Amino acid sequence: MLAAILSLGAIGLLAALALGVAAKKFAVEVDPRELAILELLPGANCGACGYPGCAGYAKMVANGDKIAATCRPGGAAVMTKIANIMGFAPISVDPKVAVVMCQGDNSKASDKYKYLGLADCQAAQKIADGPKQCPGGCMGLGPCERTCPFGAIEMTADNLAVISRKKCTGCGKCVAACPRDVIKMTPLDATVHVLCNSHDKGALVRKYCEIGCIACQICKKQAPDAYEIENFLATVVYEHYDQAAAAVEKCPTKCIRDFMISYPEGSSFAEVTVPLRRKDEAA
Amino acid sequence: MAELLLILVSAIFVNNFVLARFLGICPFLGVSKKVETALGMGMAVTFVMTVATVVTWFIQYFILIPFGIEYLQTIAFILVIASLVQLVEMVIQKTSPVLYQSLGIFLPLITTNCAVLGLAVLNIQKDYSFLEGVVFALGAALGFTLAMILFAGLRERVDLCPVPKSFRGTAIALITAGLLSLAFMGFAGLVKG
Amino acid sequence: MAMGRLKTFPGGLHPADNKQWTAAKPIEDCPLPEALVIPLSQHIGAPAELCVAVGDLVKKGQMLGQAKGFVSVPVHASTSGEIVAIEPRLHPSGRLLPSVVIKPDGDDVWLENLPAADPHALSAEQIKDRLRDAGIVGLGGATFPAHVKLSPPEEKPIDCLIINGVECEPYLTADHRLMLEDPEKVLQGVDILRQVLHVNHVYIGIEANKPDAIQLMTEKCAGTDVQVVPLEVKYPQGAEKQLILAITGREVPSGCLPMEVGVVVQNVGTAAAVADAIVNGYPLIERICTVTGSGVSEPKNLRIRIGTPLQHLVDYCGGLSGDPAKLIMGGPMMGMTQLSLEVPATRGTSGLLIFRDGDIDLHEEGPCIRCARCVRACPANLLPTTIAAYSRLDMFEEAEQHHAMDCIECGCCSYSCPSLIPLVQTLRHAKGAILEKRRKM
Repeated sequence: MLAAILSLGAIGLLAALALGVAAKKFAVEVDPRELAILELLPGANCGACGYPGCAGYAKMVANGDKIAATCRPGGAAVMTKIANIMGFAPISVDPKVAVVMCQGDNSKASDKYKYLGLADCQAAQKIADGPKQCPGGCMGLGPCERTCPFGAIEMTADNLAVISRKKCTGCGKCVAACPRDVIKMTPLDATVHVLCNSHDKGALVRKYCEIGCIACQICKKQAPDAYEIENFLATVVYEHYDQAAAAVEKCPTKCIRDFMISYPEGSSFAEVTVPLRRKDEAA
Repeated sequence: MAELLLILVSAIFVNNFVLARFLGICPFLGVSKKVETALGMGMAVTFVMTVATVVTWFIQYFILIPFGIEYLQTIAFILVIASLVQLVEMVIQKTSPVLYQSLGIFLPLITTNCAVLGLAVLNIQKDYSFLEGVVFALGAALGFTLAMILFAGLRERVDLCPVPKSFRGTAIALITAGLLSLAFMGFAGLVKG
Repeated sequence: MAMGRLKTFPGGLHPADNKQWTAAKPIEDCPLPEALVIPLSQHIGAPAELCVAVGDLVKKGQMLGQAKGFVSVPVHASTSGEIVAIEPRLHPSGRLLPSVVIKPDGDDVWLENLPAADPHALSAEQIKDRLRDAGIVGLGGATFPAHVKLSPPEEKPIDCLIINGVECEPYLTADHRLMLEDPEKVLQGVDILRQVLHVNHVYIGIEANKPDAIQLMTEKCAGTDVQVVPLEVKYPQGAEKQLILAITGREVPSGCLPMEVGVVVQNVGTAAAVADAIVNGYPLIERICTVTGSGVSEPKNLRIRIGTPLQHLVDYCGGLSGDPAKLIMGGPMMGMTQLSLEVPATRGTSGLLIFRDGDIDLHEEGPCIRCARCVRACPANLLPTTIAAYSRLDMFEEAEQHHAMDCIECGCCSYSCPSLIPLVQTLRHAKGAILEKRRKM
């Protein structure tokens, strides 16, 4: 009995001594705030902040005397907590979501040639500017879907990219992946968008797409502050997003969509009747 | 000499700790995504296994048996292994922060790694002398490292393939591990025991 | 012909030759079309800078656009006439690019005071300047400005000139007919090139499927130290690096150019154009082009003026035969698919191939079965299947480590793949991404 206690105790003591010495010799300075910040971050390593992963962002915040970039996927909730830890004034974050400004899938828009090749829009764009006749439309080959770290993008059966407003965190990786700049970052509150990216004249657009903007100006007449027409394409003026809904019904080609009512045809994202906000955002 | 060589070959190939004895599957699956991390983990395990064998051998034959307290074997061994792993963790954190980050949670998990404890216990069970024990430990560690590196290489290749959705991730990894294990069965019978 | 084994390189393929359609047909002059569309960008390097205006009356050989920078050449009028428009027009690249549209006046009058000269009276610098002014670019299809290729930096001494008479692409016979019909001009050009480079060793590589050309060129070179080298028939024997390896045994190192091993390669067509430019002062306004394929009624070898719309070439060849399903400018392995016959022929148009529906394979791609046919076929000793796998996963660093940048885009891998995987496109995608990253850094 005694032998057992003594021997085990001795081994334990020796080990403790050795570890104690080692702890001093191999000590590494770690800022506890950096660890605390790292805990709060979403951990997706999306790189939207411009730093190498969430660890890089945490390091920057802990080392610096001001926060040089905001964490978009984290959003206002995380930024507030981070500011608290560092003792800074609260930082405001405008929640943004990415929207694919096109509804011209295979059933609605025509192609200029049959494309047999790598299923990547950047590769297809290099071949005579892409198989779609519309120079600005979504080609639906999916680099945006593959690059989204949050799985917020889906490709419909007719080759159109659609982004879920619930899952999108506004990190912006899809915008960089799209060779035609069809995906645009928009304020989360704005639910009405003109889903067209073609600056061709109306008559030409009509030839290659059923659901493109023909710049007929009807939307601008319905809601003069909410729309502007530039280079044969209408866009929503997001400062006045709340007035844009009035023109949705009147659009002759139905290229204006209110995401509060539904997503584009073929999308699996559910129809909703309440504002599409993320749960952690304060109203 | 020939005996020692046989022990070495047996521990590395014939009775590979991961692929034949199925010990240490946790870090085997967890750290084998890239060959560099697998190598780093293998080296850490080699160090822990070898030193643990030496220390536990002394404890068994100079403390536990003389005082008749063999029943404390498990707890004493775990104590030693845990301390060693702590030491290794501290050293790695200081010398190679990158490796420390990439090994993550699996570094302290060497403590509860059945391969290390299994090695210590097997050593005693087989009645190996000190030298035989050390060679056995080296062989086991090398075998472990070999299995991890091979598997990491395989996983890197599998990642390039269009794996069906239901098989992605752990499923295909386990199937691959099973196939690798089957391959190592080719060594069976080379060395007795 | 040649005793023993012919020289060659490792890897490569043996696609069906298909040269019998036009190999025996002498070159015919294609008449001028109603309008010539001459793009300002027909070569590697900066497009030419416009120096004429709508309404101008130009003579044959007059400069329409000046060279911009060192790696660039001017663009010339292919006949005399009036400039009726300067606007973006459909270009072989599939885009609309600035082009000069000329309506021929029917007189076909050369510009006066063309800089004809005796090559031996000129210095190497003077010759290179005249080649640039004449718009001479590589006529093998790459359209790299010749004067740049002939100006290697001093650290890279050149001791060997190789003339490329291989024409390894199936269907094309333009270079073959040129060697048969005008060997003297080719050799005159070779002499001039040799003068510029001050080399001792000159070789002319010709594939063994052109025995008549080999015999004729050998005869014409008798007594000189220009050596005609018959080569094994294999694609892509005509690719620079493979040609150098086969003839001299030197291997161009990874990531380097032929000048690294002291060699300059020029096409036979380029040599002939060089002769015309220096001796007669003619700028590059015409070239030889093979119009062939199952979709053309009468395949022919034509001497065409730069800027002739492809439709006009087809019309002169008896028109279309059946419904065309695929148009290729160049050869079937490395040529560029065209969207329309309205595209003009440019300095790089070595051939026009038209195929019908039954001739092309429209199957969707399948999965990679690890057969390694692409690895065996690759003349650059790469692993196309691995690089393609990395490229699809956007792992471009790993693709670069596997030497994606050494890919010559010859098409051997795509051709040999039983699953019809678009390997060249996938590799090109990786190369594009790697270059993009290098540019950013």
